[in-house]
Amino acid sequence: MNYILEGKNINKYYGNFQVLKEINIAIPEGQIFGLLGPNGAGKTTLIRTLTQITAPDSGEILFKGLPLKSFKSSEFGYLPEERGLYRKMKVGEQALYLCQIKGLDKKEAYAKLKPWFEKLEMESWWNKKVEELSKGMQQKLQFAITVAHNPKLLILDEPFSGFDPVNTETIKNHILELKNEGTTIVFSTHNMASVEELCQNITLVNRGENILSGSVSDIRKSFSKSLFQIKFKGSKVAFANALGFQFEIDEIIEHSDHTSALVLAHQGAGSKELLSSLIQHVEVISFNEKLPSMNDIFIDLVGRSQSDSIKQ
Amino acid sequence: MSSNKIGLIIRREYFTRVRKKSFIIMSLLGPLIMAGVLTFAMWTSIEESDDQKILVIDDNYPFFEKLHGSDKLSYSIMDISLPKGEALLEVSDYTALLYLPENILQSKSGQLIFKKQPSIKVQRQIEETVQQYLEISKLKEFDITEGDYNRLKAPFNLLTFQFKGVGAEAEETNMLPAIVGLVFGILIYFFIFMYSVQVMRGVIEEKTNRIIEVMISSVKPFQLMMGKIIGVGAVGLTQFALWILLTLVLALGGQFLVLGDKYDAAQVKTPMTDMVQQQVDQEQSLNLTRLSQKDNLFNKIRRINFPVMIAVFMFYFLGGYLLYSALMAAVGSAVDNDTDTQQFIFPITFPLLLAYILSFNVFENPSSDMAIWLSIIPLTSPVIMMIRVAIGIESADMWQVYLSMALLVGSFIGAVWMSGKIYRVGILMYGKKPSLKEIFKWLKY
Repeated sequence: MNYILEGKNINKYYGNFQVLKEINIAIPEGQIFGLLGPNGAGKTTLIRTLTQITAPDSGEILFKGLPLKSFKSSEFGYLPEERGLYRKMKVGEQALYLCQIKGLDKKEAYAKLKPWFEKLEMESWWNKKVEELSKGMQQKLQFAITVAHNPKLLILDEPFSGFDPVNTETIKNHILELKNEGTTIVFSTHNMASVEELCQNITLVNRGENILSGSVSDIRKSFSKSLFQIKFKGSKVAFANALGFQFEIDEIIEHSDHTSALVLAHQGAGSKELLSSLIQHVEVISFNEKLPSMNDIFIDLVGRSQSDSIKQ
Repeated sequence: MSSNKIGLIIRREYFTRVRKKSFIIMSLLGPLIMAGVLTFAMWTSIEESDDQKILVIDDNYPFFEKLHGSDKLSYSIMDISLPKGEALLEVSDYTALLYLPENILQSKSGQLIFKKQPSIKVQRQIEETVQQYLEISKLKEFDITEGDYNRLKAPFNLLTFQFKGVGAEAEETNMLPAIVGLVFGILIYFFIFMYSVQVMRGVIEEKTNRIIEVMISSVKPFQLMMGKIIGVGAVGLTQFALWILLTLVLALGGQFLVLGDKYDAAQVKTPMTDMVQQQVDQEQSLNLTRLSQKDNLFNKIRRINFPVMIAVFMFYFLGGYLLYSALMAAVGSAVDNDTDTQQFIFPITFPLLLAYILSFNVFENPSSDMAIWLSIIPLTSPVIMMIRVAIGIESADMWQVYLSMALLVGSFIGAVWMSGKIYRVGILMYGKKPSLKEIFKWLKY
């Protein structure tokens, strides 16, 4: 796999406090990559070291395999979680200024901003002052400014905070569109549902350490507790008989036209045995393995370490 | 590339401020107030609302019999004693009593006893009239005709320019440069204070607006800080230039309005004047020439070496501003809001305030040890050295100016370097207000 950005053994201290501990992170090119972690885990500091805002105390950062210094700020776009604008400036002026700071000349900046203003239906705002915009409108403007200069690497920290569901959907679609055009996106969020929906790979940071990395599907499988979700028609007794002693009913609910059940497999038993046994006794409507959600995994890992620390 | 970014930042900082209503109002109001004060000062010294009716007691009566005044100034020559004259002054509508003693030709002085203080212009006019009367009578003594006397006179106008460094000048002309120096020194104080606080506010604004993180993902913190400092400094210079320009325009306009045609007459000091002068009524032309030379404040102001003054002002304003604004930028970066700045601002601006307060002492005693030290120490030198330079520095003491300038440059470079380090860390720190100890730790991050 090609990595656009790699961090190797990154350490960062603020005074005596170690914020990042031997972090290794690799962001594959052309994907949406999730950077997860509870509040205060060191995500923002990690992003700041990756974007050259602060330098790590030790460790190495590579951009496309080369030392970080070789890459220009114009090659990435960063939407920080705590973001703001100059309130007294006009929207258009501000957008042009922030794009010019990224290295575009004024004409280029205008040409690249215009389609985004159209896409996000913000054309009428151009001569308004930023302080006249609502918070959601400002978020939209910030998003447009972050992506307008076509960065190769886009770092979005909680991009959906402050958006209503309609705008969340719009922004999500634009993020996917950018990915399809080849932009690599680092996506930092607490919203695990959107991680499952958007990200291929993730890294989970907790207390300055990388505690989990990999593809979302692999991680979910590895955390699987062999739970199966089955919908069927037929008697509950027949269903129970079909399970034998290898499987156990975790939950069963009768609906008007079908019954749904959660079945836990004991050591060694798999979906093949369960399904072949079931179809002889009941009419199976749907059968799937119930993988733990990223939310469950997050709570499991982070919660466990938090209760450990309380015990200590 | 990076210099281009600093340029963009400077432009933004400059134009957002220059376009503000408050800047425009300040730019117009400042000169209006200054010109107003100037014009008012001139008006009060020149304009005379009441007619003057003067009782003249001539001990050599009828020596001054032919003394005659003008429309607003009339003389009644009497041969009475001074006590009688005073008694008459009390009961009559005479506005003043002019006593010309017996030995006037030797003592060359008289007394004016007034009920209500007459203006300087009136006093001058009386002086001129008596002096001229005496001159004419002396001409008769030496048997010279008035015509010959006028032909003998060669009007000569000397404009004096102070040689830089060798400053020994007459007391009278020395006061004005000192006053102008004090004004410039106070201007430096105000400008440094006003604009370095603006730098601090700007930094706090970026921090609390949370735009800072977006900015420094594109530019280096040092670029952002320097861009702000330079941009705001340029606003200060613009304001200064506008003030000077508008003040001059308004003051000249004001002077024209106050002095009216008299001002014109004073201006017409071309070679043609000689010819014209002989045709004009002699008394009046004498009056006007003297008036224009002695009373015209602008003639005196013109003698000040403004190019040097403005160059020194620029240097000390910029040097002092860079020093203080760098420190203020560091303060702004370390706090989250305006109210937290107090504990840091006071110790930083204290030397500046001290310089301002002591500037009046320096004005009176520019070569005291205190003045010399304060003009060399970088935190106070911008205000104090400005005043000393305006008053004039002996060439033997020029090393003090060079040392002061070198120290100022050195210390602002040091301050910018140190503040850059604090700023870089401070702008990303939110939450609790850091202690000075913590801020010094940031230097090592």
